Amino acid sequence: MKAANFEHHEPTSVSKAVSLLESLDEPTILSGGQSLVPMLRFRLARPDTVVDINGIDELDYLHEEDGYLRIGALARHADVADSEVIEARYGSFADTAPLVADPQIRNRGTIVGSIAQADPKGDWGSVLIAHDGEVVARGPDGERTVPVDELFLLPYDTSLDEDELITEARVPVPVEREGSAYHKLKRKTGDYAMAGVAARLIFDDDGRIEDAGIGMTAVDITNARASDAEERLEGERPDPELFAEAGELAAEQSNPESDEHGDASYKERMVEVLAQRALGDAAERAGVIERRAAP
Amino acid sequence: MSSETDDVPVADTEYQHDEDGGPDPEKHHGHGRGGMGEEVKRKEDKRFITGRGNYVDDIKKPGMLHCEIVRSPHAHARIENIDTSRAMDVDGVVAVLTAEDLAAHELATMPTLMDDTQDVLVNDKVKFQSQEVAAVIATDRYIAKDGAEKVDVDYEVLDPVVTAEEALEADAPLIRDELEDQEDNHIFDWDVGDKEATDRVFEEADVTVEEQMEYQRLHPAPIETCGCVADWDPGKDKITVHLTSQAPHAHRTLFSQVSGIPEHKVRIVSPDIGGGFGNKVPIYPGYVVAAAASVVLEQPVKWMEERSENIQTTGFARDYDMTGELAATEDGIIKGVRTDVLANHGAYNAVAQPSKFPAGFFNIFTGSYDIEAAYGSLTAAFTNTAPGGVAYRCSFRVTEAVYLIERMVKVLAQELDMDPAEIRRRNFIQPEQFPYESPTGWNYDSGDYEKALDLALDMADYDHYREEQQRRIEEDADKLIGIGISSFTEVVGAGPGKSCDIAGIEMFDSADIRVNPTGNAVLRVGVQTQGQGHETTFAQIVAEELGMDVENISVEHGDTDTDPYGLGTYGSRSTPVAGAATAVAARKVRDKAKTIAANELEAAEEDIEWDRESGHFHVAGAPDRSITITEIAASAYMHHPSSEEPGLEAVNYYDPPEMTYPFGSYIVVVEIDRETGEVDFEKFVAVDDCGNRINPMVIEGQIHGGLAQGIGTAMMEHVTYDENGNCTGGDFMNYLLPTANEIPNFETGYTVTPSPHHPIGAKGVGESPTVGSPPAIVNAVVDAMAHAGTTHVEMR
Ligand SMILES: Cc1cc2nc3c(=O)[nH]c(=O)nc-3n(C[C@H](O)[C@H](O)[C@H](O)COP(=O)(O)OP(=O)(O)OC[C@H]3O[C@@H](n4cnc5c(N)ncnc54)[C@H](O)[C@@H]3O)c2cc1C
Repeated sequence: MKAANFEHHEPTSVSKAVSLLESLDEPTILSGGQSLVPMLRFRLARPDTVVDINGIDELDYLHEEDGYLRIGALARHADVADSEVIEARYGSFADTAPLVADPQIRNRGTIVGSIAQADPKGDWGSVLIAHDGEVVARGPDGERTVPVDELFLLPYDTSLDEDELITEARVPVPVEREGSAYHKLKRKTGDYAMAGVAARLIFDDDGRIEDAGIGMTAVDITNARASDAEERLEGERPDPELFAEAGELAAEQSNPESDEHGDASYKERMVEVLAQRALGDAAERAGVIERRAAP
Repeated sequence: MSSETDDVPVADTEYQHDEDGGPDPEKHHGHGRGGMGEEVKRKEDKRFITGRGNYVDDIKKPGMLHCEIVRSPHAHARIENIDTSRAMDVDGVVAVLTAEDLAAHELATMPTLMDDTQDVLVNDKVKFQSQEVAAVIATDRYIAKDGAEKVDVDYEVLDPVVTAEEALEADAPLIRDELEDQEDNHIFDWDVGDKEATDRVFEEADVTVEEQMEYQRLHPAPIETCGCVADWDPGKDKITVHLTSQAPHAHRTLFSQVSGIPEHKVRIVSPDIGGGFGNKVPIYPGYVVAAAASVVLEQPVKWMEERSENIQTTGFARDYDMTGELAATEDGIIKGVRTDVLANHGAYNAVAQPSKFPAGFFNIFTGSYDIEAAYGSLTAAFTNTAPGGVAYRCSFRVTEAVYLIERMVKVLAQELDMDPAEIRRRNFIQPEQFPYESPTGWNYDSGDYEKALDLALDMADYDHYREEQQRRIEEDADKLIGIGISSFTEVVGAGPGKSCDIAGIEMFDSADIRVNPTGNAVLRVGVQTQGQGHETTFAQIVAEELGMDVENISVEHGDTDTDPYGLGTYGSRSTPVAGAATAVAARKVRDKAKTIAANELEAAEEDIEWDRESGHFHVAGAPDRSITITEIAASAYMHHPSSEEPGLEAVNYYDPPEMTYPFGSYIVVVEIDRETGEVDFEKFVAVDDCGNRINPMVIEGQIHGGLAQGIGTAMMEHVTYDENGNCTGGDFMNYLLPTANEIPNFETGYTVTPSPHHPIGAKGVGESPTVGSPPAIVNAVVDAMAHAGTTHVEMR
């Protein structure tokens, strides 16, 4: 890697990081480096100063607290993959972690960095959408939370300011009769999604869908919510036809582009398929439908 | 030293190991000294596994400078002006070179391996994206890159031509306007076979089938990119270049020709090489620039490519657009094969092939089948894409030929509703037909194709999967099953020198064995390992032939100052050619050892026998009166017979009488997700026959690696360009390589059909899996969907 010159800062606390971000001219935050370093290598990113947050131990956590699953800025993809809390209750997170990039990248890359990167092909944004998640940001004016629907603006662009540090991403702790899943189509390990769909379903005690969340990967300019499909699902009982209809609605709402790996119509069709599969898994994990037969 | 090099060596029948042929990797041959057939652990692995390898980028010299190349963002553009002043102002930048500077040293252009002339740095017109425009020499590589960013180049952007088809259109922009007499983008037409006879067979045939298929542009993508450290010694007027080279001697000759430095003042050292796969056969502009800079600045200069530079500018492979046709009888006897190819050669004709074979060995497209008539034609075109056409883990376009014929056999089987195994069986060249002369002029040495196929069918549980396939179709299951077969034949081991040359130099190879007074030996060879395990397998050949312990033999290669001249390693030629040279040289040593043994044992030479089992020499009829090679080595230096020179060594330059023809049958079973089209490998069986086996474990390793590359080829790899000639597949985010996760469990088996003309009955093997597996995979995918009428699916 032959990056252009930059100044490297290594704060050891959030408050030091925030004051550095405030005082430096156009600083760039470095967490896992799995998106930033490739950009430095191609010199697509040419920051003068880099604020490396890897030494801030207080950001290294992944746990449930006060009704949220809280993901600290230094929680790595691999931490999610290895977590017992995740495995027991967060189907979509457990599905996603081993599908992000490859093992080496998962050891370094962070969930928060991935969300800050706002790559429409990133997986975690869709999971956050499905779970109605939010991020917590610290800046010179203190702390604020930003709901995921207000976060992604454009590819690689969020509504955060340059001097704001995301300290945490979080989603509500699952309730009873809740299930979630993520399905991703990719060419190979280490490749981004051609298409991906995260789904979360909460059922009422009557077995009807009370709340549905669907996030889509790589089929729009940002991670996108399949709101039409969500609406169609709410108030209904789960069955394959309903999920098929929801899949169609999600596909209609997606806006994929053709590329070397597939044309737009194929990707739309894949949104439909992946949404059906994710919804099926979510319903199953919520315990409201039987385990489906293996293919 | 007596010369026996003109004698065609005769196969030593002692090596015709039993043809047990079972898929039993545990099977050992040999005498326990690490000779033929033994699973000796690779000698080279200690340094690789413990991080002590020594690659070009590990070479550091005092005062070493670094070279960064400024590359064109455009695919086709005229250079109006280059301003180097801002770059020269960067602290640490020592020099900026342009075509003009090189011209002053007569280094502005260099010959390609196909006798075309390529700009070292662009003079006038850029012909492909990322072409070399200028070079910055600086005190470290970061500064060199900073400097490169500050070289200001004005371009007049021209319309690019990206595909061969576009290139041959009447109104296509002319790419090579600097060449006299070049009025279009057409390079050459080539054909082979008997057109009339073939046409007649097609007219009279019961059935004909035709399919269009693309063998997409691939890149060998070795894990180590290309690079060099050039070090001019003004005291000796000599240049030493540490180079990522698969062919150090040939490169020395070319270096000398390009630079004008006499050949004995050029030393090429190819240290540890991190994979080559054909990519490190050509000479690249970066090498020339670094060498020129070192001569001018009198300091060592390192140039090391980045990954994207490697993929975007150095030798690609394939890029053949092929039409295949077969003519057959109703019961599936193939009477004729016809093919027409459109070849994209990029901006220069820089294919790396023996010069008399402009389409490489593509004319082996009759494959494993005894076909009455064959005709092939090909047109090659210039385009605004990187030049290349290297033999990426294949023997010069054999991959394309095998893909063509093995796909077509499947197409025919579908048309006739015949089992693809059965149709192969009906058309195979039969064992008793060898040596077999093919309708396109090849002389196959040996083969038993049906045996390999039968073994593969058995290992793959073929009948079971055929039933399962039917069941899934009938039950409308979510996942379909497809079974693909490829029964390929390779042609490897170029020369002979009379027909095969690289830039005029005959494709022989060489071995030099020196046995030391203490009984161990150094073998030097003219080929260069890039992972093939020569340091082990070639030592095994010597161990076998001299009755020595493999531990006592070291193999040296890659240094032109000390190794005998050779043509290098590619096209699976090392064992067929340098391996043969090693055996012949070892036998020469053995002959002399016998003379010494007679002297020591005070017997007549005719009465001395060599016992392969024990490795000892003894007096006929008196096995107790024996002597070991270690004792003989001591004698050679301490009390040599008066009739002989002292010492114990021999050299052989081996010009093979013919090539060798390894073969095999691969069977792939895939499961395809009906909704998403995702392909999973359910079973992957590879049966190879490479004649007598030197080291089964090394062979197994080679097969595994090559199969992985075959999967990459069939499933994901593709150097893509957009319509403006931007290379959109030029890095590992976009040029997809398979990882361990994409690789299924391989089940390997083997049969043994020795080569009758090779001194140890061996054939090449390193490339068989890359050559043989892509059609097996595609055949499997097509097979899964055949019931829906699919006859072809493109790779990638
Ligand atoms: C080969 C490859 C394949 C990949 N495949 C996938 C994939 O399949 N799916 C997927 O989702 N991702 C994939 N990624 C991206 C990977 O997940 C990265 O880990 C992730 O995008 C970035 O996380 P990071 O911690 O490495 O962030 P960095 O690279 O350190 O930073 C990324 C960006 O976010 C900013 N940033 C980082 N942390 C913060 C913070 N706390 N607050 C504010 N801004 C911050 C940085 O300034 C930078 O702009 C892949 C990456 C590579 C190289």
